[in-house]
Amino acid sequence: MRSAVLARLLDLGETPAREAMGLMEALGGEMRSLILASSAQDAVAAVGDVHLGVHPALEDPDPEIAYLAAVRLIGDVPPDLLLLPEGPLFEMIGARLAGHFGMSAVRDVDEVTAESGAIVLRKGAYGGKANVRLRASGGVVAGLRAGAFPAADPQPQTASIEDLGPLAEGGKERRTVRDTSGDDLGRAKVIVSGGRGLGSREGYESLRPFASLLGASLGASRAAVDEGWASPSQQVGITGRKVAPELYLAIGISGASQHLSGMSGSRTVIAVNRDEHAPIFEAADIGLVADWYQIWPHLQKALEG
Amino acid sequence: MRILCFVKAILDPEAPPGAIRFPGKVESGDVSTVLGPFEGNALELALQISEASAGSFTAVAMGDGAQDVALRKALALGAGRAARIDVATGFVDPLGAARRLEAAAKELGGADVYIFGRQAGDWDMGVTAGLFAGLLDLPFVPLVQQAEVAGEGLRLRREIPGGYEESLRTGPIVLSVTNGPRTLMRLPKVKDVMLANRKPIDVLKPAEVGENLTLAEIAQAQVTRQSRMITGDAASQAAQLAAELRRFLVTGGGN
Ligand SMILES: Cc1cc2nc3c(=O)[nH]c(=O)nc-3n(C[C@H](O)[C@H](O)[C@H](O)COP(=O)(O)OP(=O)(O)OC[C@H]3O[C@@H](n4cnc5c(N)ncnc54)[C@H](O)[C@@H]3O)c2cc1C
Ligand SMILES: Nc1ncnc2c1ncn2[C@@H]1O[C@H](COP(=O)(O)O)[C@@H](O)[C@H]1O
Repeated sequence: MRSAVLARLLDLGETPAREAMGLMEALGGEMRSLILASSAQDAVAAVGDVHLGVHPALEDPDPEIAYLAAVRLIGDVPPDLLLLPEGPLFEMIGARLAGHFGMSAVRDVDEVTAESGAIVLRKGAYGGKANVRLRASGGVVAGLRAGAFPAADPQPQTASIEDLGPLAEGGKERRTVRDTSGDDLGRAKVIVSGGRGLGSREGYESLRPFASLLGASLGASRAAVDEGWASPSQQVGITGRKVAPELYLAIGISGASQHLSGMSGSRTVIAVNRDEHAPIFEAADIGLVADWYQIWPHLQKALEG
Repeated sequence: MRILCFVKAILDPEAPPGAIRFPGKVESGDVSTVLGPFEGNALELALQISEASAGSFTAVAMGDGAQDVALRKALALGAGRAARIDVATGFVDPLGAARRLEAAAKELGGADVYIFGRQAGDWDMGVTAGLFAGLLDLPFVPLVQQAEVAGEGLRLRREIPGGYEESLRTGPIVLSVTNGPRTLMRLPKVKDVMLANRKPIDVLKPAEVGENLTLAEIAQAQVTRQSRMITGDAASQAAQLAAELRRFLVTGGGN
């Protein structure tokens, strides 16, 4: 089997990229590391046969530039299995590369095995209510879930360096805007998340003094993001952030499986919901069937006092 | 602008735990089939772009008659046309699905903007839009949160980790749409829902495609915890919770 890892040079120090290389080593066969870089660098910590594609715009690439660069780097004959760490690069180009090369694409994969010549990939389905194993009879591009594979200890290697030359332009008038509101969710020890049950922006804002009393970061359900109470970078769940704090407090969140998928790694979960049948109670260690607005004034007094 | 919007109806993703079972297959019980939420976001964006460009859009679904839920919703919201590629429900290789959507798009005369949801909440693949872009060799912008028509092009805002990116794109393009206040699906008017029920849905024959990925196994996943309930009136619940939180803060999370 021929496999390859596609990653950005910038990400090589990160665990997800090293995990992709670890999986490639475990599967064996012919291995390549395809690295997107903004400048030439001949000693690259990677595994297998290293191929570095260089273009200045790869520092912070537009989706179009990243795609064109990757197509050149992969060349005419794609590997049987192309591995990308799950994240922004996969989002931009993983599936599109698969379509281009006539391969299938599977993301958020947490297990890969080779079974009688076929690659079998495991992932969640139905919002995390099910796990599926998918057998690929042709080539496949896989996005690997962070934390699911042992990381390799890649060694510096001499890379073949390819100047990718001119690439067609991407979007015009491009600008990026940072929003720091969800920055700390990944490292937070305590997270307070609010949902639609808070009823209004002011209601969601009532979590701010609570979070600050606990030294917590603020998360949100999809519904709270849809309402505009919280920013998309604060969304916790299968299409948001996957978090694993020591303590997760879910306030006014029903506990749909898609939300639970993002917080199930939390050590302790406390839920406040006024519906005793809310599914969140099946995913919580401590539950309060209560109206948040009845609880909060008392709680604030008790915590401040 | 000519727009094709791809929608999918799925088993209610908010069905309570245990309502859908997975004993080696999908047992849906009496869970209803609804328009997927990201497909609702896609429809909203399709509607906004078609309104702003004095155009119209066509909604396309692939599956059996249960998909008509999604197409009727699209018609009620203002889709000019609805088409269903007639295939059986169940797991479908996303590459094969994208190839069939590509063939249907050609049959329907193509488009300037192809709009997909970010992820269909049945198999949670999240890859069909990108595959489709790769097959057609068209630019692809993922996780669009907002779109404005700007002359011949589209000014798009897409979600990136810790913020967003805005850019202006011209020419045919494929988008996947994510949730947020600007893509929240509006509610159709009751009158339009009634009218939509009488509009035709074109049924298209699926293109012949090979299967690359097959479903080898499906099993139940479980995330239940034993929960201890804090009871009493609000004041007493708050006092107990405060004590619990204080203990947590002091011990730093140890039990
Ligand atoms: C493919 C897919 C991906 C998705 N990804 C995500 C994701 O990443 N993250 C996510 O969160 N969701 C996601 N969802 C959506 C998910 O299915 C739910 O729709 C969403 O999580 C519901 O948000 P909520 O719990 O805030 O709202 P609701 O389900 O409306 O729940 C509100 C809760 O608040 C309670 N409540 C009301 N008033 C009060 C009060 N005064 N005090 C206390 N409790 C009160 C109610 O009893 C209710 O349980 C996804 C869905 C799909 C299909
Ligand atoms: N059977 C289908 N019919 C129509 N559109 C689909 C179908 N499957 C996937 N899509 C589109 O592709 C998006 C992503 O789906 P998926 O890759 O399956 O998560 C969905 O939000 C739809 O826009």
